[in-house]
Amino acid sequence: MLAYGGGDAGAFETLYARHRGGLFRFILRAVKDRGIAEELFQEAWVRVIDSRTRYAPKARFTTWLYTIAHNLLVDHWRKKGLSLVSLDGEDAVSESADPARQAEGRAALARLLHALEALPAAQREAFLLHQEGGLSVPEIAAVTGVGEEAAKSRLRYALAKLKAAVDDG
Amino acid sequence: MAEDGDISRHYRELPREEPPRHLDDAIRAAARRAVGTRPAPLVVPTGRQRWYFPLAAAAVIVLAVAVTLHVEREQPDEQLVTAPAATAAKPKLEQLRSEPRPERRRKTESPPELQKAPEPVPTLPPAPPPVATQEPPAVAGAAARPSAPKASAELRRFDEGARGAPALSASALQSPEQWLQGIADLRKQGRHDEADRSLAEFRKRHPGYRIPEAMLEKVEKR
Repeated sequence: MLAYGGGDAGAFETLYARHRGGLFRFILRAVKDRGIAEELFQEAWVRVIDSRTRYAPKARFTTWLYTIAHNLLVDHWRKKGLSLVSLDGEDAVSESADPARQAEGRAALARLLHALEALPAAQREAFLLHQEGGLSVPEIAAVTGVGEEAAKSRLRYALAKLKAAVDDG
Repeated sequence: MAEDGDISRHYRELPREEPPRHLDDAIRAAARRAVGTRPAPLVVPTGRQRWYFPLAAAAVIVLAVAVTLHVEREQPDEQLVTAPAATAAKPKLEQLRSEPRPERRRKTESPPELQKAPEPVPTLPPAPPPVATQEPPAVAGAAARPSAPKASAELRRFDEGARGAPALSASALQSPEQWLQGIADLRKQGRHDEADRSLAEFRKRHPGYRIPEAMLEKVEKR
């Protein structure tokens, strides 16, 4: 990123090739709408480009990139009157959050996908940051702006639910 | 988190969605624009320039060949007009109204033969003495030098038609010496009127010619 900030367009190509897939799936599976995902994905990279000269390597580029994406998602949910916060508990699970029942009779992958979609947004985000971005718990905490314990809890809940969905065959 | 590995393995088996190509291109282009480098446009003008140079060279060559052919085609045309004009009669030349340039007209109206000929005289001098006794008169101009009998025939023919064609006189075709000798012969034969007219004509045609004393005695009336 520092190289790109210095005018090396090739450095951006490297960064983009490395993160395009993971970031796109992270956003797509968060919003569940391809059109919105493409819009947010492009906006995320535009912010990267615009911030090239201000970028300071305080953390990994991946952490910074997913923080941008997270903020865009927060804005997106706010516009829709939704929130990503306080979705940690069992009570916050959405009405379609019974992945095992919905995925009944389907293949394990299909059940996993449905379970992922059924996860509370914060848990899903923690899971996707972990899977797509390869972020650790502290990094997830940094990206999402919560404490490490909260991040760890979100991730644990997400994993547990997904495992339950997969094993429910 | 023991379940992490198992779920991760399953998660990796899910479809790997990718951003569409047009989105990739737009983002990459924006990134290049932002740092002021445009690799793609730099390639295109290079290719265009590669085409422009041979194209321009070919155009110049074609133009040069076309101009040369045009000039070549015009030159034979000129020759076509002037060559027959040199041998053609004057009225025929005047019919060539397609000649726009006055220089060309001048050229065609004054062929070399006529330029060498003396000015036409309004009246003819008396016919020279019988040609059979004289040396064949030389035609003015070295280019046309006929043989003796031929020249005599021409002179006779000229003499016969002289009155109807005042443009040229037979005497005018003679050398001054021959002309004077003819006058002297007329004197000898007692044809003084003719000799006087011929002498007057001679002086008009050759005002600066100094007649030798011996000849003067023969040609002047005493």
